Amino acid sequence: MWLWFSKLGSPKWFYELSGKWLPWLAAGMSLLLIVGIIWALLFVPPDYQQGDTIRIMYVHVPFASISLAFFPLMAVAGTITLVWRMKLADMVAKTAAPLGAWFTALALASGSIWGSDIWGTWWIWDGRLTSMLLQFFLLVGVISLRSAIEDADAAAKACALLAIVGCINVFVIKYSVDWWNTLHQPSGSFSLSDEAPNPPEVWVPLVIMIVAVYLFFVVSLILSTRNEILERERRSQWVQELIEAN
Amino acid sequence: MTAQTVTTFEAFKATLKRDLLIAYKRKNDMVNPFMFFLIVASLFPIGISPDPDRLAEIASGVLWISALLASLLAMDNLFRSDYEDGSLEQLLLSPHPLYFLVLAKNISHWLVSGLPVALVSPLVAYMLNLPSESYFTLFITLLIGTPVLSLLGSIGVALTVGLGSRGLILAVITLPMSVPVLIAGTLTVQQTLNGASLAGYLAILAAMLFAAVSFAPLASAAALRISVN
Amino acid sequence: MVEVETDLEASMLCVGSLFCERDDRILFEDLNFELKEGQVLQIKGSNGSGKTTLLRNICGLNAGYEGAISWYGDPIRECQEEFYSSLVYIGHRVGVNKVLTPLENLRWSSSLQQVITDDELLDALEQVGLRGYEDSQCFTLSAGQQQRVSLSKLLLSRAKLWVLDEPFTTLDAAGVKQLEALLKTHAGNGGAVMVTTHHTLSVPDLQVLEFG
Repeated sequence: MWLWFSKLGSPKWFYELSGKWLPWLAAGMSLLLIVGIIWALLFVPPDYQQGDTIRIMYVHVPFASISLAFFPLMAVAGTITLVWRMKLADMVAKTAAPLGAWFTALALASGSIWGSDIWGTWWIWDGRLTSMLLQFFLLVGVISLRSAIEDADAAAKACALLAIVGCINVFVIKYSVDWWNTLHQPSGSFSLSDEAPNPPEVWVPLVIMIVAVYLFFVVSLILSTRNEILERERRSQWVQELIEAN
Repeated sequence: MTAQTVTTFEAFKATLKRDLLIAYKRKNDMVNPFMFFLIVASLFPIGISPDPDRLAEIASGVLWISALLASLLAMDNLFRSDYEDGSLEQLLLSPHPLYFLVLAKNISHWLVSGLPVALVSPLVAYMLNLPSESYFTLFITLLIGTPVLSLLGSIGVALTVGLGSRGLILAVITLPMSVPVLIAGTLTVQQTLNGASLAGYLAILAAMLFAAVSFAPLASAAALRISVN
Repeated sequence: MVEVETDLEASMLCVGSLFCERDDRILFEDLNFELKEGQVLQIKGSNGSGKTTLLRNICGLNAGYEGAISWYGDPIRECQEEFYSSLVYIGHRVGVNKVLTPLENLRWSSSLQQVITDDELLDALEQVGLRGYEDSQCFTLSAGQQQRVSLSKLLLSRAKLWVLDEPFTTLDAAGVKQLEALLKTHAGNGGAVMVTTHHTLSVPDLQVLEFG
């Protein structure tokens, strides 16, 4: 068990294994992305209320759902960093923060584009949008803390701690913003995901898009973690050999 | 001389006393957040409108946001001078659980920064034309809420204490984290205006305080051990 | 982690296969030494050779090392309370708050470890030559005087291990002499000292650790 665990934590092992998986993941991602986008844009019937605007859902919902995964991911990686001092966990956490900020920003942007049509305005203080915005700020906080601390080891630990605290906080924020929102908005107002039960031709492409975006996330995370590995291990023998081989 | 060891409670008291003494000797640090609170709160009528009805509507939010900013401004003093003069190292090397010593520092910091703001809030509320029936609620929410702000802020300060340019990072880290307290505080005050029962709202605030007292000093202590290296 | 085979009874502090790297530079590796009761260990070395880091590793202020550090046979991470009750550390930043008076500073820092009466505190200040300054705020004192405030902690403390980082730098000749005498007494009473300095120490049974 312990041996397996320390092997999992070895950057070299991760680099080699991820190198084998990467083409498959990338191919799967491209296939699903193409199928999903074409299906969503050309074959999904227009919504009876929103018309063609509904197609933005196929971008927004996947991004929004994956954005929620970042703080738990970083908190788990942070716990591993603090408890077992595993280098790989910190590399994942380091690359996850900017990715998370991008995904959250995309979710916000697609949400506001969608909103511009159905609410007639680019921004309203909807519960989901508000907690997403706050999560974006927290991610920016993690990124700027990372860049401000010069010592890599201290930065890793500090960001790990902040990610754990932030993860708890994101949940509290979510509940309190929902609470705030229900008290401030008259009930029955239209929310982005207030969908009537949908037929399969609407939700199947949505599932495809969600899986595709998750794969996109995994591929991006692996790619940037590989970069991070090469940079941090640049002095080790196996990286030197890799450079010479190419 | 027989070596008599100190109980954790005595170390807690000694730390509390020391920090209050330092605050007393550096009156500026004590007065500044308080003045900042008054100034920010008085900017809102100037910036938005002196119309009493509009002010009454926003008063609870204005007071809470001003308290939040004042608490943020005051936070930086919490560990900085101790970090710079090495007292923080002595704190980390004490045989007592760091949780209690950090808690002592947090309490003393709140007594000189949060408590004055809560005490003066009814006066500012009057100036902002907040309906008088909610003065007491406002005071109570700030009394429960400002320690939560201090405890949360303390984590951010502990993480950034060693950094040269920490002001903005501290704000980016702590302000979003304070949102739940801001929401609970302002909603409670507005609830008074609707004449509804406050028990549930105050219970939520109290639960936040309880959670913050239990866990925030642990996180601050861990953060201090990371920052001092 | 390597188990170090030593006579654990006699050695107070035992350091085994210590490795520390900072910013891709190895400060020390496979460092082994032990400190027995009554010994003074002087750590010498050029600037940036890792002397301060070693002291901070041992005190647990800096956890960025690999290897074993044990206190009477137990790893320091497992007997933290006991270890910290027996440790005084004085670093570059001496731990003296500038707005407080020497007396107030001393009262707090010693109260973290043991109960001490004000008379004992005043007595200690008298011995380091700060009588008459006990009620002036520390920012009015010189660097050497502030160093003396922190050294008076040594007089008061019953801790067995003293870890001192360049304690001589700001002291005048009389202060240096006094500190040396203090180290001697402490070692004579069965205590141990780790000290970084370039100063030539005249204490019996001096161990020297030379850094690259």
